[in-house]
This record gives sequence, structure tokens and C-alpha cells, in this order.
Amino acid sequence: MRALDFDYMLGLVPVILSYVPITLAMAGASMVLALALASLLAVERVIKVPVLDRLVVLFISFFRGTPLLVQLFLFYFGLPQLLPALANINGVTAAIMGLTLHFAAYMAESIRAAIAGVDRSQWEAAQSIGMTQAQMMRRIILPQAARIAAPTLVNYFIDMIKGTSLAFTLGVTEMMGAAQKEAAGSFLYFEAFLVVAVIYWIMVEALSQVQGRLETRLNKAFAR
Amino acid sequence: MLKSLTFGALTAAVLGTAAIAETEQLRVGMSGGYFPFTFVKQDQLQGFEVDVMDAVGKVAGLDIAYETMTFSGLVGALESGRIDTIANQITITPEREAKFAFSQPYVIDGAQVVVRKGNEEVGSVEDLRGRSVAVNLGSNFEQLLHELPYAEDIDIRTYESNIAQDTALGRVDAFVMDRVSSVQLIKESPLPLELAGAPFSEIRNALPFADTEEGRALRDRIDAALDTLRADGTLTEISMKWFGSDITVAQ
Repeated sequence: MRALDFDYMLGLVPVILSYVPITLAMAGASMVLALALASLLAVERVIKVPVLDRLVVLFISFFRGTPLLVQLFLFYFGLPQLLPALANINGVTAAIMGLTLHFAAYMAESIRAAIAGVDRSQWEAAQSIGMTQAQMMRRIILPQAARIAAPTLVNYFIDMIKGTSLAFTLGVTEMMGAAQKEAAGSFLYFEAFLVVAVIYWIMVEALSQVQGRLETRLNKAFAR
Repeated sequence: MLKSLTFGALTAAVLGTAAIAETEQLRVGMSGGYFPFTFVKQDQLQGFEVDVMDAVGKVAGLDIAYETMTFSGLVGALESGRIDTIANQITITPEREAKFAFSQPYVIDGAQVVVRKGNEEVGSVEDLRGRSVAVNLGSNFEQLLHELPYAEDIDIRTYESNIAQDTALGRVDAFVMDRVSSVQLIKESPLPLELAGAPFSEIRNALPFADTEEGRALRDRIDAALDTLRADGTLTEISMKWFGSDITVAQ
């Protein structure tokens, strides 16, 4: 057993922190895009548009059925062999694309479940006052579904933040990539990976606080 | 506030690659995790490869842009045209020569077996029979091991990184890497490791370029720069700085 090199760890903190923005930017952009895509997919799964429904099922099945790392390699290194134009997308864009498609597949299922969880009487009430299906979705069903889906969606966002650590394989130096390179130069593996682990942990803890507040707000109408 | 900050960083990351296309630049890929050839200290990319490429850039009049990614991603990035070359001790092999246009070798070295300190059982490459050996994924050393007559009796394990650590921990019996970085690693790292015998194969390391008209033209330009650096002693000087010996010529 050797003692931990605290000076080294302390020196590493600002280095790893400087990569927090790129990690959050990738996760944040992917979250916004994935939420939008997942909502469309979920609504489609509920109303089941002919033909399109089969494609959506296929999409969800593929992106849930293969590992994120495989998908990233497929987009970044594989597809350009078929479509040379794709060689121009950079690692950040490819990582965002991969995270978006991968997590949209999962989120679509959890949003679909949330929509299904809205009480049947809500649909009937909306129909009885003559709302179109689009109005009903937007004004009655989705706001209530959002409340149900929120905790699982925040969970996916947390997974997404951690998923960005795979972007180093695409040439994006984010927190994990920076830690790996530092460890290679110092051979202080435990110190380097401990620093990066603690920073991820703190970030996710901060997010959990936001989640608590978000849930309180979404639940306001239901508070007794 | 957080949102504007993160999106600012994102825009910078996306624009950053597009904006520097103006000056003539050479995009050089490396792992950033191969001490002392390419590694990072306090966020500063450095090492033998960095010094060589900086010198090449100066002589050839090219702006060097470094791209770091895991080793196994480098060849894919070169093939898909995302980088122009790889400076990561790429050994010339017949398979790679069929695919890429190589510069002249700028490091001549040997494959080395490294074991945990005090391991009396492995003293040379012959002793790897029946043992587990770690190599970096996609590295030439994996190929070299497969070419041994008793390759079937070796448990070859490929790693993305940290082969030295796993050998020191006793998870594998040995690892194989080039001799110079093995020596350097044993000297500089706190890991309990030692060399097992003499290097078992000569390897010549060079810069691979795409085998296209453009790639070959770029290769010729870099080759000429390497000639200049060899003639004026810069290559030797850089080698002495990192290794205390000249690894840029055959021993």
C-alpha cells in the first residue's frame, strides 16, 4: 500500500473541471434533442400511424438493443465508408447524434408509459368538449404525462452525462479522456480516476437537487 | 446562466474545427496515453512525438493540429480522413503498408517483454508459453506475438489502456511493448516492473498517410522535413531529451 498523492489530486481538480463544460454541453444538447424526438416517437406509439409505427418500433428496438459504444463507432467510423460526406462531422456532433438516438429510444418508452398512465377519464373528458386529438395531447395529456415521466427522464439525463465519457473514443477530450491522459503520464491511476469520479458524482448530486425542485413544481396541481 | 455557458462551449467546439481550416495544417492523431511518446501533464500534451511533429511542422511550413483519441480509434480516423497522419509509434508492417503510404522510419526499436518485479518465471519471450500477456488493442505487438511459433500456447489479452498497471497487479504475467518506452516506464513510474530478457524483434516506426495522391504528396513533404531534421541533428537531440539515447537510428 502506498499513500495517496493528495498534491497531485489537488492539481488535477482544475484540469478536470475545465472539461466539465464540454461534458455538460454534449449531455445538454443531447437531452434537448432526445426529449423532442422521444416525445414524437411516444405520441406515435400511442396513436399508431400505419406503416410509420413499424418503423418506430424498429428504431426503438435497434437503439435499445445495441450498446451505445457500438452505435458511436457505427456512426463515426463505419458510416463514412458508405457515405463519404459523413466524414465531415466532428466527434462532438457524432457523440451528440449517438447519445440523442440511443436515449430517445429509451425515453420514448418511458414517455409512452407515462401517457398510458394518464387516467382514461382525462381522454374522455377532453373528447367530450370537442377537442381534436392534437389539442388533447398538447393541452391535457402531455402535461400530466410529463409529471409522471419526469423522474425517469432525469435518470436518463444522468445516464447521458456519464455516457459522454465514451466520446473520447471519437477524439473528443472530455472529463474521462482528460483523466486517462493524465494517468498515462503520471501512472497515478487511482488518483486520476478518483478525481474524475468525485467530480461526476458532485455533478449528478447537484442535478438530483434540481430534480427535487422540478418534481415539486410539476406536482403542484396535485398537492393536497 | 448554465445553459448559455454550456451552449457557448458547444458552439466553440463545433466552430473551432471549421475556423482553422484557413492556414495549411497537418492534423496529427495520437492517443495522448503512451508515455513518454505522447502523454499529458497538467493538461499539457507533450512527449517525444509532440516534439518531433512540432519540429516537422516548423521545417515543412505546416500548422500542426493535434487530435487525441483512444489508440484503437486512430486508424479509423485516418481511414475516414479525419486526420492526416498518426504520430503514435506506428510500426511499419506489410498489412499496414498495403493500406497506407508510410514516411521514412524515425524510430528504430525492438519489442520487449516486461514482467512484474521479482517474477523469475518469465526471463525471455520463450517463457511466454503458457502465460497470459497483455498488449495494446490494435498495436503491432499483438501481431508479433501471433507470429511466434508457439503463439497458440500464449494467452494474448488486448487492452485499451493500462497494460502496465495490470501486469504490476499480477492480473497478467507480462506485457509486450516497445523497448524504449518500457525502459522509460520502469524508470519513471512507481509500478514494480522489470524487463524480461532482450528485445525479440526489430521494429521500425513511421508516420502513415492515406494512400491517395494527396496523402502521398503530404508524405513526401514530411519525409523531406524528416531528412532535414535528421541531417541537422534535431531528431537525435529530441531523442536524447526523452530517452537519453538515440532511438532514431538503428543500433
